[in-house]
Amino acid sequence: MIRLKNVSYTYRKGFGLANIDLSIEDGEFVFLIGPTGSGKTTLLRLMHMDIFPESGKVTIGEFDSDTIKKRKIPTLRRSIGLISQSYHLLDDRNLFENVALPLHVIGHNQNEISEAVEEALDEVGLAGLDDHFPQELSGGEQQRACLARALIKDPEIILADEPTGNLDPVTSFDLVKLLEEINREGTTVFMASHNYSLIKSRNHRIVEIHDGKLRSA
Amino acid sequence: MDKFLFLFSEGLKNLWRHKLTVFTAVFSVFLSLSTIGVLFIAEQNTHKLIEYMRSKYKIEVFFDGTVSNEQAEKYVEEIRKIPGVYSTTLITKDEALKVYSSQFGDDLTEFLEYNPLPPSCVVNIKRQNDGKLKINPIIKRIKEIEGVDTVNHQGRLIHRIESFYEQGLLGLSGIAFAIILVTVMIISNTIKLTIYSKKDLIKALKMIGATHTFIRMPFILEGVFQAVIGAALASALLYGAVVGANELLSQLTVFTINVEWMFLSWLFLIAIVISLFGSSRAISRFLK
Repeated sequence: MIRLKNVSYTYRKGFGLANIDLSIEDGEFVFLIGPTGSGKTTLLRLMHMDIFPESGKVTIGEFDSDTIKKRKIPTLRRSIGLISQSYHLLDDRNLFENVALPLHVIGHNQNEISEAVEEALDEVGLAGLDDHFPQELSGGEQQRACLARALIKDPEIILADEPTGNLDPVTSFDLVKLLEEINREGTTVFMASHNYSLIKSRNHRIVEIHDGKLRSA
Repeated sequence: MDKFLFLFSEGLKNLWRHKLTVFTAVFSVFLSLSTIGVLFIAEQNTHKLIEYMRSKYKIEVFFDGTVSNEQAEKYVEEIRKIPGVYSTTLITKDEALKVYSSQFGDDLTEFLEYNPLPPSCVVNIKRQNDGKLKINPIIKRIKEIEGVDTVNHQGRLIHRIESFYEQGLLGLSGIAFAIILVTVMIISNTIKLTIYSKKDLIKALKMIGATHTFIRMPFILEGVFQAVIGAALASALLYGAVVGANELLSQLTVFTINVEWMFLSWLFLIAIVISLFGSSRAISRFLK
């Protein structure tokens, strides 16, 4: 369960979020819609505990922003799969090595890692491309690789920050369908987008953010 | 264990991934350690030279012409008890005459009908392993002894050599310290550059829940590998240079450069400590 209670955050330049109240149940699929600069990324960063609210409280499962210890943040992040518009794939590592990274962080052995990477790549439709480097993949494939890297650790939550931002409409639609499949298996998905036409036909809750404030959509 | 093996292999792979920065760091370590090594070898050999010269330091004490051999023996015994005196050799009146005769070919007693030479004594000074040898207090104590007429010594020369040695040691230590400091800065900055160029990796690792230790370790290991490679190259150069120089010296002089090769293990240790310090410093600034 994700809960934000009266959360505010201001950047030095002055903009940010104000009095956000939001609750997302386990297994729910929620879209966050809003124009560029409205505060979508800030909201996701707060949920990822990359930044902390000035006032209010963010609760992600058993962790909350008021009491979490610095050394516990990596543990929280292991239960969250984060994908973003800029894929954060490592250019000097092939697809297999990129996707395997989270399991090395957790400390799995090589056999478990090989098996899990094959499974994750298969799930996102990238089977057989293990030895390709990011620059040899299309934008859609890179975003799928990013998703495979998020999925490999079997996260409880997926936070997607404009994952279709650099993709063409068909590839964007495929990615949303893929996220829906993952959601059907029980993973909570919270996806930010500014592309209303992409999400309006999907049967999921939509919350709108504008100038750092949430509105019902 | 799997995690450690992964981090270890990442540290090794990083050497290849960051070729240019690794080359810079290895070259800096190599240069610094080679210079430190040369300084150390110079210090060791200067020390040997100083030791040799110290073994030649001696004080000649001439007793009053009225002092008999028996009295001289007592005075010599007093001199031997002075702190800093290593040994004493009494030269009796008869022995002094023999030395005179052997050196000048004349027998003084033939035309003087008595032996005018006074008994004397040669005093050897204790060798000190470190610090400046202080001879003046010993001279002062000897002069205070009754019956002592003249004291000959190389006090000024000894003082000059000892001062030069002491200043040299201080200078060498200063240079070595400065080199170590510069190397720490270079390694730290090189790793900082590497880390800066790996911002994406650090971001990705943070994103997937890596701890700071996990992020840090490959960079630290990379630094240690760089240090070991640099130290190995410096050791090879120093060894080759000393062997080559001795080969050349053996054809020209009897002097050879002596080195206790155990010091190379210290070079490795210094390199590893420097790299650990440098890389930790760079990463901690980045992972605040």
